[in-house]
Amino acid sequence: MDNNALIRRIIRSKETYMLLLPGVIWFVIFAYIPMYGLTLAFKTYKANLGIFGSPWVGFEKFEYVFRDPAFMESVWRTIWINLGRIVFTFPVPIILALLLNELRMRRFKRTVQTIFTFPHFLSWIIVASVLINFLDMQGMVNGIIRMFGGDPVNFLGNTTIFRPLLYITDNWKNAGWTMIIYLAAISGIDTEQYESAQLDGATRLQTMWYITLPGIMNTIVVMLILATGYIMTAGFDQIFNISNAATAKAGEILDIYIYRITFQSAADFSFSTAVSLFRSIVNFALLLLADRICKMLGSEGLFPPIRKAARARAKGAA
Amino acid sequence: MSRLARPVSIVLAVLLVLLSAAACSKKSDDNKPSDSSTTPSTTQNGNNASNSGTGTETEGGADGEWKPQSDLSKKVKFSYASVQAIEGYDYTKGDPLAQYYSEKFNYEMDVAALNWDNWNERMRIWINSGDMPDVAVYNYIHADAAAFVEQGLIKRLPDDWKQRWPNLAAVYERTTLGPQMEKVFGGTYFLPRARFMDNLPGDPLPNHPSVFIRKDWAEAVGFPVKSAYTVSEIMEFARLVKDKDPGNVGDKLIPIAENTNHAVDLFVARNSTYWNSFYKDKDGQYKWGGASEDTLRGLKLFSEAYRSGLLAQDFYTVKNEEHGAYFNVQGIAGATFFQAPTSNLQPYYNDFKNNLGIDPYENIILATVLGEDGNYHQVDLINYWGTIIFSPDIKDEVFERYMDILDYNATREGYIITNMGLKDVDWTYDDSGNIVSLYDEEKEGKPLAGTTGKYPSWGYLLGSIILFDDFAFDNPNTDERLRELSKKVYRERTEIATPETFTAIDWDYYTYDSPSKRRAEIDYYTEYANLITQSGDIEENWRKWVDSKMPLIQPVLDELNEKFGG
Repeated sequence: MDNNALIRRIIRSKETYMLLLPGVIWFVIFAYIPMYGLTLAFKTYKANLGIFGSPWVGFEKFEYVFRDPAFMESVWRTIWINLGRIVFTFPVPIILALLLNELRMRRFKRTVQTIFTFPHFLSWIIVASVLINFLDMQGMVNGIIRMFGGDPVNFLGNTTIFRPLLYITDNWKNAGWTMIIYLAAISGIDTEQYESAQLDGATRLQTMWYITLPGIMNTIVVMLILATGYIMTAGFDQIFNISNAATAKAGEILDIYIYRITFQSAADFSFSTAVSLFRSIVNFALLLLADRICKMLGSEGLFPPIRKAARARAKGAA
Repeated sequence: MSRLARPVSIVLAVLLVLLSAAACSKKSDDNKPSDSSTTPSTTQNGNNASNSGTGTETEGGADGEWKPQSDLSKKVKFSYASVQAIEGYDYTKGDPLAQYYSEKFNYEMDVAALNWDNWNERMRIWINSGDMPDVAVYNYIHADAAAFVEQGLIKRLPDDWKQRWPNLAAVYERTTLGPQMEKVFGGTYFLPRARFMDNLPGDPLPNHPSVFIRKDWAEAVGFPVKSAYTVSEIMEFARLVKDKDPGNVGDKLIPIAENTNHAVDLFVARNSTYWNSFYKDKDGQYKWGGASEDTLRGLKLFSEAYRSGLLAQDFYTVKNEEHGAYFNVQGIAGATFFQAPTSNLQPYYNDFKNNLGIDPYENIILATVLGEDGNYHQVDLINYWGTIIFSPDIKDEVFERYMDILDYNATREGYIITNMGLKDVDWTYDDSGNIVSLYDEEKEGKPLAGTTGKYPSWGYLLGSIILFDDFAFDNPNTDERLRELSKKVYRERTEIATPETFTAIDWDYYTYDSPSKRRAEIDYYTEYANLITQSGDIEENWRKWVDSKMPLIQPVLDELNEKFGG
């Protein structure tokens, strides 16, 4: 497509492109313009000189970053926690969506969906407070354990329990919300396929396995690629609110490390920018890598070719 | 429908663009920072903990002689940030004391309430982003402070300020920190708030946290009553309490109630003078306190107390200062190492009496905690807590007005008001010129200060430059038995110590600043608490921890030894 044709097409569909404009403006202002701040990783930040005026120091900050053993520890910890998330939390909304899709009573289905979705709207501070009240040594759970003659369990200070606790609370809070994406994808599956399967005598489990799951596979792949792109970002709010002095090491992910070096000791914004830049580059590389691997395995990945998408649309229209 | 779609979508798009633009360009009408708070209570934080203070006769004398430096007929409005403020409280007219000050000095004050958890962090963000309130109470941390001064992020006071506000200058000289920093920075940027003026209980100055022990329980289990205990003696008491449960508390019994910070203070800091800093050893070389044998000794005791159940198994989940209430409100703790400034003892004892129904004077032992060597361990507290700083953008008229408030509060009249309330309402002079309290807390049914008190605005917020502790030694609102006890506790700390265990400030080290030193700032409270909650041998864990920190510590040691070692 030459440039003139593209411009003509934009003019022809100007209303549609106008709707795109606020989003573009938002991205430019809040995502692209602030990127100039990344130069701080190569400067010594002086608030009075601003980001532009601060003196360049090359890779000095990165030398400090890699000298700190806590940094690499937090990197590996972040990766392990997030790999755990992919195993223990990524499939849960898919399973929930598949199961919920099988419910026939619409009112019950909606009620269940609302119950699952509600926790998403609670902040991690609230969730952590509730959790502490439930699980601390004088909490409800230990109260029940005591009632049955057992010894109380130190749930909140146990580093072995810490990670499972992260996955459980993450699922409780977010699985219902993420499930909506898969339910939307399921609703886009051609109902004729289900009718045909019914005529052929397929069981509900077979329908789910051979029709529903393949029907949402592209969505699953896209979500998986995005999750991979966040592998160096392990949920600051959740861990910050749930961890304590006993689990501080088990919970020191990269985000917490950045927070600690930025706000809990003498502030060095250049140092924390260097760490953040490192994290973003790794995330970006992993995102591209995951996309490429998915394409190699036959999936469309994050950016399906335009011609293929157009063909799909044309086929749909026909 | 399709005819409508085009104009609707255009209108919608334009609206969204305008909203985006408005959202991006909208600047807050004022610079009020978002805030959160805790209710006022005494507590401590990091390396310069506590509340306290009082003062005495200062230049200017009585209110009548005192002269402001600003035109009080002109109203000023300013923003102010302080820890322990009350969220949403009207500090201009919320109570008669607030009203008295705001009318006398003709101001309107917006207060950003900070709490112990966000105080340092918020101040760093505000100052570094150029958004600090006009006036703020800043927890002095030299590394940050040096950066703020170097970058012009806080106001430098005019060179003649000491002549213009002489009462304030007199207090400033007593703080030690102020004049020292003036030498370092070549001007005044920080106004430290003095803990003591005339009644300085020691030099070096001891800190106030003390152990509160249930005397009735001690007597029931045959534990001796003393005015000072070593950490292991306190653990022995806790063991006896755990075994015999003299208060019949049952499952809820906590032999020693602490939060993370106070637990570290009790076990580690009381055994190791330099538990959180560097120090010059006898050989003239700088060493790191985290790696000292004293620190290990404290950690071993800490670990033993945790593993044997003398501490609550989830003590690190205790927020703020709630562990103090396990002792004096719930009555489920045998002992607690807690804040004990003189000014705080009366409400603490009153709560004990009101909640447990027994006489606190007969049933509490307030004592000093010593290291295992029998000595009191501490580095000079420095006679200040919190420093007042000003925004570089503050208007001259606002700056001068606030300095007037500080200067007035440094006079005898202002100083008494900040400690006793309003003259002829809450206190007066008798025929001999002594201060007499007119306030009867029992009759009024509430204390003078605090969220539920007569004057919630009372405290650090009205420009106290001399804090409570000094006056508290003479405050008629505090029971004389408590005042005497407090004096004794302070005095004993200076007596049961050697110059090596209770040391003066090493100003070379204190004022040294470098990128390496900044990066070696460690949250020792969390680190030590984490160490003792780990499984395995505490000494082995500690050695691993020391090794893991050395890449950050060694550059600082090298710098200090090169510059000051000998």
